[in-house]
This record gives sequence, C-alpha cells and structure tokens, in this order.
Amino acid sequence: MGARFLVFACLIALAATGCGTGERGDDAAAVTARFHAALEAGDGQAACQELSEDTASKLEQQEKKPCEKAILGLELPKGGSVAVQRVQMLSAYTSLAEGSTDFLNEGPEGWKISSAGCKPTAPGRPYDCELEG
Amino acid sequence: MRRFLKTNSLSIVFLVLFLAALSGQAVAGHADFNEEQVRHGDPEITLSRYLVSSDFGTAVMENWQSEYLQFTLFILLTVWLLQRGSPESKELDKSGRESDEQQKVGPHAQQNSPRWAKVAGIRRTLYENSLVIVMTSIWLATWFAQSVTGVTQYNSERLDHQMDAVSWWHYLGRPDFWEKTLQNWQSEFLAVGSMAIFAVYLRQRGSPESKPVGAPHTATGIEG
Repeated sequence: MGARFLVFACLIALAATGCGTGERGDDAAAVTARFHAALEAGDGQAACQELSEDTASKLEQQEKKPCEKAILGLELPKGGSVAVQRVQMLSAYTSLAEGSTDFLNEGPEGWKISSAGCKPTAPGRPYDCELEG
Repeated sequence: MRRFLKTNSLSIVFLVLFLAALSGQAVAGHADFNEEQVRHGDPEITLSRYLVSSDFGTAVMENWQSEYLQFTLFILLTVWLLQRGSPESKELDKSGRESDEQQKVGPHAQQNSPRWAKVAGIRRTLYENSLVIVMTSIWLATWFAQSVTGVTQYNSERLDHQMDAVSWWHYLGRPDFWEKTLQNWQSEFLAVGSMAIFAVYLRQRGSPESKPVGAPHTATGIEG
C-alpha cells in the first residue's frame, strides 16, 4: 500500500515537472534562435512572427509603426546562440551566450516570445527588457 | 458480495468520496486555471494537460502531505501523550509502548496473532512500528512531491514576470513553499486537537470516536 502510494506520488511529481521539458526546451530555443537570426538578416516580418500577439500589438502601439518596422529599431541582439534554456509549465526563458535573455509562453501555435533583450537588474527583481509584452 | 460491501463499507465509502472529490477538484481547478490564463491573455489548456501540470500537482500534494503528517503524529504522540477524559487518549496509566504482554507479542502472542508479532528481532521491530513507518514514508514522499511541483509552479510565475527561475534547493527556503506547507499543517493540528477536547464533553451515539453517551466526562480511553 505504502509502496504504491510512493510510486504514485513520484509519478505525479515527474509528470508535473519533468516529462517532455527537454524537447519543449529545444523548441523554445529554436524560436529564440530564429528571432535573433531574423533580426540579423534585417527581416522584421520573420522576427515578428516569433512574437506573441500581445507583445507585437504593444510594440506597434508604443512605436506607432507596423511591428516589422518597429522591431528593427529596437536595441535587440542580432544573431547569437542560445546557451541556457529552461521550461516551467507553459513558460520558458532562453539566454543567449552573448548575455541577453528572452521570455516565452507556449500556446496553440507553439512557443512565442513575450519579452526580449532582457538583462538582470537586482537579485529578486524582474529583468529589464528592451521589448516587453 | 453484499456482506463484503457491508463489512468494508467505511473504506469503500471513503474511497468513493475521495475519487469524487479529486475529480471535482480537477474540473474546478482546470476551470480556475483557464480563467487565470484568460485574465493574463494567455491560451487555455486542456483538462488532460492540466492533470499533469504542476498547478494541479501542488494543489493535491500539499493537502495529502498534511493529512498524512496529521495521522502520523496522532498515531505516534498518542503512544506517550494523554488527554484526561478523551476517548482519543489511552487510559492515564498506560502511557508509553506498554509491555509485551499487553501488546500480545513474542511469547504472549496468541494463536491468531500476525506472524511477525510472534517472532523476535528486526521483523518484530518493523511490524511493531509498521503503521508509523508507512504513514511517515507517504508523508515524506508527498511533501517532496509538493516541493517538486511547487518549484515548477513558482518558477512559471516568476518567468511570467520576467524573473529568472530558482533551484529546487533554493525554493525550500522561499516563503511560497512554507506558506503552502504551514497553512495546511495548522488546520490539521487544530482539527485533531479540538476533536480530542470536544470528545471529552460531547458525544455521538454509536460512534467509536466518541465515548458512550452516558460515560462520565472524566472517563479516559473508553470508546463507544
């Protein structure tokens, strides 16, 4: 009885945290890589495709320009490789080897970037992001 | 079959109630989770995805661990601690692990005693404490599961607010973990402590958790 409960509890813990996070992390990292590669290529449209709807819409309102033009005017890393990726439920962050961090959310269309070009401020405080949703 | 149901009705009814309540929690928790997603402009998730989420895992595990802790402590502490007038307490002169004769072990075991109660050594020591060993194991396993699911849920919220994730070890020192833990513990301790006192003065006719209705308030260790 006890052993069954232990196994059940451990299965729940694993299911809730571990299952599939590796593959989903790779997917999130691929979105980040495509986003920064698009910025390097000057392809604003491709970069905007990787953004969440809210983030793209907020950017357009702030800059009063279409997303594909506004995104190229921000000081975001152009190119770069993902060094750290971490998935937690429907959220993820990816850090470039060059030091900038992006935050992503998972929806029906896969991972989308909600904040980009983020740098840590102080311990326990939110990152300061160049692009924020 | 009818006889089996009648003579096991207590555990069967509680199993059914447990499954019904857990299903209800899953449905209500899923709806609540999706309401929150909509409020944040995030996509809704399916029920099957919610059932393996840390949100559901934490909600279930934090309650399980506190229940098992409650009964583990109750079983263990009532070996030594007494409450005058309570049917939850042993008689006032019986505090402690009691003699082999009182516990019917070793040479004092009866013919129909469990096999491990008749033998000496590690097997009897294990069997003498088997209830607390299993209950403690379940408590620790579910508390660990709460911490693992809790750190994922905690980190998910941090990421949503552009903060980095913390390690499991770091999470064990965070207020979130202890608030979830202690809010459950306090209610369990209150319920057990108050029941031990209420049962001194109040009665429920026919219940083994109560003294017989006519038993005096000072009678300790008598079950109805």
